[in-house]
Amino acid sequence: MRDENQLHAAVVELVAMDDASIKYSTVQNWYPGDEEGRGGIYNFVTKRGACRGARSKISWTQVETGSAITWKYPSCILQGEGSVGEFYSVAVTNNCQQADTGTKMIHLGRNTRSTIIAKTISAGRSDSTYRGLVRVQPKASGARNFTQCDSLLIGDRCGAHTVPYIECRNMAARVEHEATTSKISEDQLFYCRQRGLSEEDAVGLIVNGFCRDVLKELPMEFAVEAQKLLQISLEGSVG
Amino acid sequence: MSQFLEISGLNARIDADGQEKQILRGVDLSIPPGEVHVIMGPNGSGKSTLSYVLAGRDDYEVTSGSVQFQGQDLLAMEPEERAAAGLFLAFQSPVELPGVNNANFLRTAINAVRRARGQEELDAVAFLKLAREAAKTLSMAPDMLKRNVNVGFSGGEKKRNEVLQMTLLQPTFAILDETDSGLDVDALRVVAEGVNRLRAPTFSALVITHHQKLLDYLVPDRIHVMAKGRIILSGGPELARQIDQEGYAKFLSEAA
Repeated sequence: MRDENQLHAAVVELVAMDDASIKYSTVQNWYPGDEEGRGGIYNFVTKRGACRGARSKISWTQVETGSAITWKYPSCILQGEGSVGEFYSVAVTNNCQQADTGTKMIHLGRNTRSTIIAKTISAGRSDSTYRGLVRVQPKASGARNFTQCDSLLIGDRCGAHTVPYIECRNMAARVEHEATTSKISEDQLFYCRQRGLSEEDAVGLIVNGFCRDVLKELPMEFAVEAQKLLQISLEGSVG
Repeated sequence: MSQFLEISGLNARIDADGQEKQILRGVDLSIPPGEVHVIMGPNGSGKSTLSYVLAGRDDYEVTSGSVQFQGQDLLAMEPEERAAAGLFLAFQSPVELPGVNNANFLRTAINAVRRARGQEELDAVAFLKLAREAAKTLSMAPDMLKRNVNVGFSGGEKKRNEVLQMTLLQPTFAILDETDSGLDVDALRVVAEGVNRLRAPTFSALVITHHQKLLDYLVPDRIHVMAKGRIILSGGPELARQIDQEGYAKFLSEAA
């Protein structure tokens, strides 16, 4: 039994020049510690990207299921005119895990666009936080951002937190933020079980449905793995 | 004698906001194989509770009584085991499952049930062929298989979707909880035909309804009237017509 914590620190930097686009996908399932929160990885990661060129694009997709504590904020500096930043994230926490993750979208150039879709699922006694910054600088006329944060709670001892920072310094920019929090309802579980699904399969199905908008951004072989991983991470979280 | 479905002395209550409320008060009902039985009764008489208790919803506590289903103790089984044993409940208000593709949901359900019954699982191609045919016979738009389960479905579409699931899951015992409520005549006929197509010497159904209209298409074998948590009267199809014309009041006062 591991009763110590290990540190995973990594740095990823992306640079996109004129008309280039980069898609960076991660599925992370480091050891999360035991049910009582003993052991596990501290996953403190720096990920940042610069869209230097005109019409360049950087798209981050992540599925975070592991680690005792995750701090991770993949960011995009949108410098080139008409450049695009995207962040698609699923974070699942169970038992005593903590995930604090989000993104930074910094709009410098004109007509830059960013999209943020973050889904968090919390179970057990875990806490999951979306923390993100959208900053529009004075020269970023015509900048647009759309942010959607959805939280799903399983059980009554977990937490979901959404902390959006929005700094807009340009009158001609448009920034939107939507957030929802929901629970898997008894009605949904019973409906699935009446159709023959086990309780765990029912949770897996509902959670995968909840994450669909993000999972569809993953490459095919990743998506299949991520779906299974979601279900495994939530094993024993209901009933 | 061993019946297909035998409910005896069933008492059940629900814990509503800290207060225990007795809803079923000694339900006796037996349904032989191959028959369609109907339960009618005023609102709040316990009809929906009976269907939930039979399907295994754990909000309800069974305080006494027993239910034998094809020789098995139904009340000892988990909801998914009851489904695998052939019990199907068409819900009065089917829930929405956001992001869950209808075809994917159906295939997962069918294969879960097939596995439990020791049958081979259906692959994607075989399933889609089956599902499309079934959807067609129910006059459903083909895109309903692609949409998310019940999300944004109209009332009629939800009910058709229940019948589609019933058709594909091939139950031996189906409970329809006011599946006809709020439906137009065409949709009503679709629901009735869905049940009629399943009719066989090994298939029975329990239909909860308020309306004679559905029964015109269904042709039931027995009618039961439920009030205050128990069956107070049983009879042939003519009983439903009598209720339709005269209301429940007469029967309730006679039973009191």
